[in-house]
This record gives sequence, C-alpha cells and structure tokens, in this order.
Amino acid sequence: MADPGRRSPKVLLALSALLTFWCLAVCAVPASAAPLDRARFTADLCGDAAGQVRGAESLVQAGGDLAADDLAYAGRLLGALAERRLACPAEGAVLFDRPGAPEGRDALTGAVRPVAETRAPVLGLRQRAAVETARGTVALLTGPDPASRAAGLSVLERRIATVPAALLDRARDAETDASLKGTIAGLAQAAALSSPDPARRRAAIAAVAASPSGTAAARLEALKGDPAYASDPAFRAALDAGLAQVGRAVAVGNALAILYNGLSFASILFMAAAGLAIIFGLMGVINLAQGEFIMLGAYATYGVQEAFRRFAPAQLDLYLFAAIPVAFLAVALVGIAVEALILRHLYKRPLMSLLATWAVSLFLVNLVRVGVGTQNLQFTMPAYVSGGIPLYADFVITWNRLFAIGFAAATLALTLLILRRTPLGLDIRAVTQNRDMAACLGLPTRRIDRLAFGLGSGLAGLAGVALCPIYSVNPGMGSGFIVDSFMVVVLGGVGSLAGTLVAALGVGGANVLIEPISGAVAAKVIVLVGIILFLQRRPEGLFAVRRRR
Amino acid sequence: MSALVVEALTVAFGRFTALDAVSLAVDPGEVRAVIGPNGAGKTTLLDVISGITKPVSGRVMLGDTLDLTKCSEAEIARAGVRRKFQKPSVFPALTVRENLEIGCGPALSPGERPARIASVLGETGLAPRAQALAGSLAHGEKQWLEIGMVLAAEPALLLLDEPVAGLSDAETAHTAALIRGLRRPDRAVVVIEHDMGFVEAIADRVTVLHEGRTLYEGSMHGARGDARVIEVFLGR
Amino acid sequence: MSGAVQTALAPLGGPARRALRDPLVAGLVGLCLAAAAALLVAPPAPFLVNVLGQLAAFAILAVALDLVWGYLGILSLGHGLFFAIGGYVCAMHLLAHGAAVTGVLPDFVQFMGWKSLPAYWFGLDHAPYAFVLALAVAGLVAFVFGLASFRSRVNGVYFSIISQALVYVAMLLMYRNDTGLGGNNGMTGFPLLFGWPMGSPGVVTGLAVAALVTLAAVLTGTRLLVGSAIGRRMLACRDDETRLRTLGYSTTRLKLGIWCLSAMIAALAGILYVPQVGIINPRVLAPDLSIEIAVWVAIGGLGRLGGAVIGAVLVNGLKFWLSAAMPDAWPFILSGLVLLVVLVLPNGLLDLVSWRPRPTWLGGQR
Repeated sequence: MADPGRRSPKVLLALSALLTFWCLAVCAVPASAAPLDRARFTADLCGDAAGQVRGAESLVQAGGDLAADDLAYAGRLLGALAERRLACPAEGAVLFDRPGAPEGRDALTGAVRPVAETRAPVLGLRQRAAVETARGTVALLTGPDPASRAAGLSVLERRIATVPAALLDRARDAETDASLKGTIAGLAQAAALSSPDPARRRAAIAAVAASPSGTAAARLEALKGDPAYASDPAFRAALDAGLAQVGRAVAVGNALAILYNGLSFASILFMAAAGLAIIFGLMGVINLAQGEFIMLGAYATYGVQEAFRRFAPAQLDLYLFAAIPVAFLAVALVGIAVEALILRHLYKRPLMSLLATWAVSLFLVNLVRVGVGTQNLQFTMPAYVSGGIPLYADFVITWNRLFAIGFAAATLALTLLILRRTPLGLDIRAVTQNRDMAACLGLPTRRIDRLAFGLGSGLAGLAGVALCPIYSVNPGMGSGFIVDSFMVVVLGGVGSLAGTLVAALGVGGANVLIEPISGAVAAKVIVLVGIILFLQRRPEGLFAVRRRR
Repeated sequence: MSALVVEALTVAFGRFTALDAVSLAVDPGEVRAVIGPNGAGKTTLLDVISGITKPVSGRVMLGDTLDLTKCSEAEIARAGVRRKFQKPSVFPALTVRENLEIGCGPALSPGERPARIASVLGETGLAPRAQALAGSLAHGEKQWLEIGMVLAAEPALLLLDEPVAGLSDAETAHTAALIRGLRRPDRAVVVIEHDMGFVEAIADRVTVLHEGRTLYEGSMHGARGDARVIEVFLGR
Repeated sequence: MSGAVQTALAPLGGPARRALRDPLVAGLVGLCLAAAAALLVAPPAPFLVNVLGQLAAFAILAVALDLVWGYLGILSLGHGLFFAIGGYVCAMHLLAHGAAVTGVLPDFVQFMGWKSLPAYWFGLDHAPYAFVLALAVAGLVAFVFGLASFRSRVNGVYFSIISQALVYVAMLLMYRNDTGLGGNNGMTGFPLLFGWPMGSPGVVTGLAVAALVTLAAVLTGTRLLVGSAIGRRMLACRDDETRLRTLGYSTTRLKLGIWCLSAMIAALAGILYVPQVGIINPRVLAPDLSIEIAVWVAIGGLGRLGGAVIGAVLVNGLKFWLSAAMPDAWPFILSGLVLLVVLVLPNGLLDLVSWRPRPTWLGGQR
C-alpha cells in the first residue's frame, strides 16, 4: 500500500470503514469494562483489616476488566497504603509524598490539602499479602517496562490460585516482550490446570495438549497424581487423551530434532572432509593438518570481525559473509605454501607425508597458541545466526545450525561446479583418474596438485567459518572432529565427492542417532566398528570404482 | 584333459567390460600365446587366472578339478600356478639369491632349496649376480630374475606377461631360448606378447583377443591369414 | 668385527651370526647391558636412573613400531593403544597388589563409592598372571583389528588412519569413569612393587635395569627375526605384497603374526614404563602420542632397529630437557626436526653418518 492517494475514493472509504471497525473491535474491550468504584475501593483500603483484604482482592478479581486509568489510580493508592503514605481522615483519603508530610493530595480529586490527622492504616500479614498481590496485578498490567511487569508477575505467581484467568489472558495479549509473554502463557496454563472448575480444567488440558512440548508433557504427567484423576472419569479421559497427543507430538519433534542435528553435524563433517577427499584422491596424501586449517579459517573469521569492529562497526553484522572469501583465500594460501615447501617432495612417500603434515599441524597449533593465546575467541553473533524458530513440539530450527547446513550445501554446489565446469576441475579429475596419462597429455600435474591442494585447504577454511557460530574457537579445536572426517574419507572412497557426502551423512547421522541411546562414546565406538566391518565388504570405500592393477 | 580351461569369463570394471564371455582351453605341455591390441583384456585374463581380479561370471578350471575363481592368490600359487608380471616385479631390498629362495615357495623344504636355487641361477645365467641386490639389476636382468623366481617353484601352469617388453634384440633372443627351455610335457605356458616374431618363435597356438572377446584361436600361421585379425592389427 | 669374534660366534649358527654382525644393533645391545651393569654397581642420582629407564621403555616401543613400519610397510598410528594396554594392566596389578598387602582400596575405587575392586580385577595381584594377561590382551586386540584390516586388504594410508581412529576411540572409552580403570584421572599412587616400597632407590634402579635388559633382549630377538627367512618375507611383503602372494605366501598370516608380535612388544614397553612414572591415564591414548612414536622411528632411521632406538632416546631425551627448560619452544623444535628429517634425511639421522646406501624402496614405497 505504497500510495493510498492514488486509489479511488470508494476503496478509501471502504478501507477507513474497515479501520474504524477494527479500532472499535479492539478498543472496545477496555471501553466496555466495568469502571472501578473508586470511592468504595478507597473506603475499603481505609477500613479495617477485612475491608483492606476485600478491596485488594476485588481489584485482583476485576483486574482483567479494568480500564488503564482505574488501574493507575488503584496502583497509586495501594502503593501509598503499602508504604504508609496514606491517611484516612473523615473528609476522605489523602496521599502523601512521604510518610508524615504536613499536606497531601486528595485521593479522589488530586487537590492539595493540609491534613491534621495522619493516621496511616497498618497492614497485618494477611492484608499485606493481599495488597502485594493487588499491586502485582497493577504492575503486570500497567508496568512501563518488561522488568517491572515481570516483577509484578512473580508476585502473582506466589498466589496463582487466586488469580483469575481473564487477568492473565489480558496480560498475555498485551505483552510485547516475547519471553515474558511465554512465561505469562505458561503461568496461565498452570493456573487453569489447577482451577477448581472441572470444565475449565479440561479445557486447559486440551489447550496444553494443543501446543505440545516436553514441559507440557511433564505438566500433564504431574496431573495424574491429582485426586480428580481417580474420581472424575471425564477428567481422566481428557488427561489421557491429552497425554497421548503430547507424547506423539514430542516423539515426532524429537525425531525431527535428531535429524536436524544429524544434518548439521554431517554438514560440518562434510565441509571438513571434502577438502581432505579431494587432496587424498589426487595425491594419496592424508593431510593431518586439515583440522588446523579449519582452525585457521575460524581465526581468519575472527580477524575479519575485529576489522569490522574497528573500521565499520555499523556493518558488524555482515562480517560472517565478508569472512567467507577471506578465510578461503587465506587458508588456501597457507595450503599452497605447505604443498610447495613440503609435500611436493613427498608424493612417492605417502606415509612420510602423514608425518610431515602432522608436524605442520603441531607447528600451526603452537604458533596460534603463542601468538594469539589459548583462550576461546569471543564472537559477536549477528541476529541471523542466533536464536531460532520453534517449529514443532520441542523441535527448534536454530539459525546457527541452519547457517552451517546452508553453508555446506552452497560449498557442495560450488565445489561440484569447480570440479565439473572449470578447466581446473577437468584437470583435477584427469590427474585423479590417471596421473601418468594426464602427464603424457601435457597437463602440468605439479601445478594442478598445488592448485588442488589450495582448493582443498580453502574448503577447510570455509568449514572454519561455518563452525564459528556453533563451536568454541581455540587453537586446539582442529583435533576435535578430525578423526571423524578421516573416517568419512575412508568410508566415502578415494576422490569421490559424492562418496564423501554420503559418508558424511552416514557418519553424522549414525553419531547423532546412537548418541541419545547409548552415549557419545558408544556412538563413536559403534561408528568405528561399523566402518571397519563395512571395509570388509568394500575395502575401497563406498564410491570407488574398481580399477585394474 | 586340459591343463587350464577358461569358461565364459566376464570381468567388468565399473561400466567397462574388460572381458566378455571369453573361453579358452590350454593342453598340458602347450605354449599358448595370447595376443591382441592394447585394451583387448590380455592382462585382465592373467589377473583373473592368478586370482588378483575376481570375475563377474564364468569359471577358470585348473586340471579339471580346481576352480581358481574361488581361490586366493596364495592358494592358486600353491596349486602350481606362477605369474610373471608385465612390469618386472622383484623384491628390490633382497639379493638375487634371496629373491629366488622366496620364489621356491613356502612348500619346498629348506633342505631342497640350495640345489633348486643353484639350478635356476644356472638356467637364467644370473649366477655371477647371486649376491647383488635385486634393486640394482639392469632391466633385462630383472626380467630374467623374475622368470627365475616363477621357475623356482617348478609350476604346472606358467603365466608370462610381456616377458620381452623393453628388451634389446640380444636379450629377446636369450629370453626366447629360456622360454623354449621351459617346455615340458606336464607344464602349460600362457604368454602375452606384442612381438609377433617372438610369439612365432615360442608358441604352439595363439588366441587373439579384441575388445574383451576371442577373435581367433589356432596356429600363428593361420592368424596371419585371418581377415579379422589383419583388420584389427592393421596389416601387421 | 674381528675374525676372533666371528669364530667365537660360530656355534650360534647362521642367523645368529648374521644378526650380531649388524654392528649398530650389537653395539646398542652391548651399551644397554653395560649401562645395566653400571647402574647395579654404582647407581647415579635416582632421577637420572629413572630417566634412563623411561628412555629404555620408549626405545622398546619404537622398536615395536619399526618392526611393522620399517620392515612390513605398515604404519600404525595407534601403537599407543598397545602401550597403554600394557601400562593399564601393570597399573591394575600394582594397585591390586597394594590393596592385597595393605588392605586399603585404591583412591578411584573409593571415589566411585565401590566396596571392592571390580570383578574382572580378580587375580591381578599375582604378577605372572598380570604379565601374561597384559600381553594376551594386547595380542588379542591386535589380532582382531589386524585380521579385520589385513583380510580385507586395508593398507597404506587407509590402515594408518583407521588405526588412529582405534586409539582415539580407546581414549574416549577410557575417559569414562565407569570403566573401573580410573576414568580421566587414571590410576596412580602405587604403593608397592613385589612387596617393596615404590620409589625406594633399589626399586628405581631395579626397574631401570629391567627396562635396559629387556631392551637388549628385544633388540636381539627382533634382529634375529628380521635376519631370518621370515624377515626376508617381511621385506618382500613391504615392497610388493601382490607379488609375494602370487608366489604362494599368505601375506595376511605373515602380517598378522608380525603385527601381533609388535603389539605385544609395545605392551611390554608399557608394562616397564608405568611403574617408573607412577601413573597411567587416558592421555597416553591421545592420537598425537601415537604419531610421536612414528616420529621417533622416522627421526632415528626407518627400517633399522638401531635407528628406532636412537630416535626414541634422542627425541625423548630432548623432550625431557627442553619441555622443562623452554616449554613453549619444544613443539616448534619437534615439528622442525620432523620436517628436516622427512625432507632432507629420508633415512633419518643415521643418514648423517651414512651407514649404508639409501635403500631404493624408499623411492617407490606405495
């Protein structure tokens, strides 16, 4: 609706009518509420103990329907009563600015008048509780900021049984702070579940079951101990049905969560292993420093973040994207340097190249340890990688994991593009399949090795970027999942990106699936044993083509 | 009975069919040459017979009783089959004598070994180099050493993969004499070779493979006159 | 070697003479025995004795790895597992023995709130049983893993990284507290060795002497092995396994046998190591430590038993000295040393004294 002026008057009219209707519908709720009988309320508070309790409780009971100015009035009066700034001479209640002041304001009219007699009503223990609850009601409904509303809520929580549902519903609907809104809703549910009215309880059970979660299940489960479960068949049926519904939904939600976590773990594994697999397929070299290359990628990301903080703080949120090319190029250059200085001399001695890359990893870890320090790096997480949306039951799509999954998918697409559609990719595939023949055809195999090593290392750098929002970043982080990514390469087969992908999904999925059943260690053991057993059948891995000797 | 019977052997590497229902029979005492252009499946055939490659289907019967496709390399070797590889495969870190000792196989008792080694050293003409490390031998000497290693076990079936590739004329003549000397009534020999002159000098019969199939089987003279063979070899 | 010595050795028979004709191994065996004798006659400060004993244990471990890597071409990045098996069983024996004599349960058992040692500790207070058990468990684990790998012809780099995964998984397993083996704190506080108080000068010297004599015995034994017909088959298998198989040899059986032997020698090193340092914990199972063993061998000289010993002693001696003197610099020195050896001295430091011509197989190993 960019420019309503261009539209015809008819449409405008209809729109304004709609607007008016909407306004009426919404604004009508407070407007139609019964007004507070201020005189009677004031008299109650000025009265004896029973009157004070009656006044306070009536406010709580009516709280859901009162207009905002009535609530404010009641709040002022209750505050003065609690803080002993209220006097009740015969001509009407007076509020002081401080206890014992010579003059105050008339409670009803607000006019300033001197007061001779300043007897403040004293609150007993029971009255104080009632008054505090009433003040909490006012704070919850009219508090200016979430903190004061939360404070009001916590007061109400102590006497939740006496709080009417309408009050909590109104507070929930009006609440703007998401987490406080959730807390209010939860409290409202709890209140309804323990309501003395059986119909309301059953409705509450159905409402709880309608938005299933682990806490909902626990809440309903607790009701089985309620006497009504044994005595009231309708209640029992409602509870059993609700529990069954929640149980199913929670199971589905948990399964989805496991799949999601497995997918994100597999994404990380794939990113860590893809570079390894390309290098291994091409040169028969397992790069034991791949984990440290990932670590360097994460540190490069940190460097980009610090640069943004210093030179472009307004765009700080974009640093993760800016880090992608930086981390790729930086780590690719490190990889190319390692290849040119060290591995080039070791292609015919793959076992020695294992040791050489281990030495490189030892060197890099300690270089970072001495140069930057051993502590975890602090990252500012932009909004697009923090939090998430609850999707179903307890299953929450967390943005950081989605970022990793998307990142891995993009990396896969890009790597496939490079391998399938670029001259370098064609060269890499040619040398992977038959080095001698490729050399005979005049391909510069050494230069291809170097570029491919750069590509594989750069992929590790990208994995480092993807890891930042999920794992803690420190010099030793590389060793954490490097064994898993080796297993992925072994399982996937030599130089097959498809194999690496399938193996990453398999290993990641198996780890996450087994973990809740028998623990993380058992998961690793089972996966390793599974891989060894699998290699009994296919020693070349999943996707390796049988080759002639 | 035949020394070696290959029945409808099919081998595939991925989508590539290296051997397509190849059959052949070799009699005891026969020297059979298998020829064909590059990629015809010759080395693959030897790989299956010696157990290095397992076929998709088909059988390889040794002496009518033993199906070699069901055996490991070591079991096949112990049944009396020996293979000389295309690329000379000797153990570079061991001396010529030690290579031949290993060539005798695990079955021969230690007491009989010195005599066997001495006779093979004589046959191959490597006696003067007996103490040299195999890695330090010249190419031709490595070929002879490998032939010696497979002879040391006195095999019933001998598989030779391009024994004269890369050898000089004099070395080729020496090798041809060596192989003619191997002929025995109880021993079958299968030779793979490109060198037609060499094949004519040693083989009783030839099998011509082309693109994984048998193109011709018979005498070398017949092969020279066969139209399809001539076409495949472009008049060679 | 002079003719007189050769004549004196004649009754030993061919292989023995051939073995002892390796001057490096013969010299090291003599050195070990001489050092052991010197320790018995005039022991220096207990600290030095202890260091010497630990170095001997590491040297045994290096010989175990060299046997499979240098002579069979199998690079294990998981030999720390077998070392740890020996060490753990030895620690179990020491604790069980201590508990049997003093009646006080080990700390970690009390920590877990158990009333007695777990059932599978039964009988471990008897030293001969514990010794046999350590070797048997190491051999059995090696057999199962080796059979699975060698039968399916997993070799080269593949084997290396699977063996690394094996030791990694074992580490995760041992970090758990409910295994009955001390969890992440491991086992320590050994009170007695054969009834004598641990840490007394006599025990320290005795352990060092035992380690040195064992090293001499292991060196002699492995040298006899690699000089025998089996040793020649090992070299043949390393250089061309398919060729050896097509000559009628079961390389799976050969590799499996040597692999298990190597594992048991590594366990022996663990048995000798643990009482000398007085502790074992899952950190010995860290993959890095297993790679370091390969580093000792590569630095000393792959494929020569004497080289493995020299590498282990040199690297660990340097480590003892430098990781105390300048802890930040040690990792850089170690990585520099590895790169130097790998790039410039492919046969290890023994290249410096040019012991024998560079073996050709190093150029073609795959």
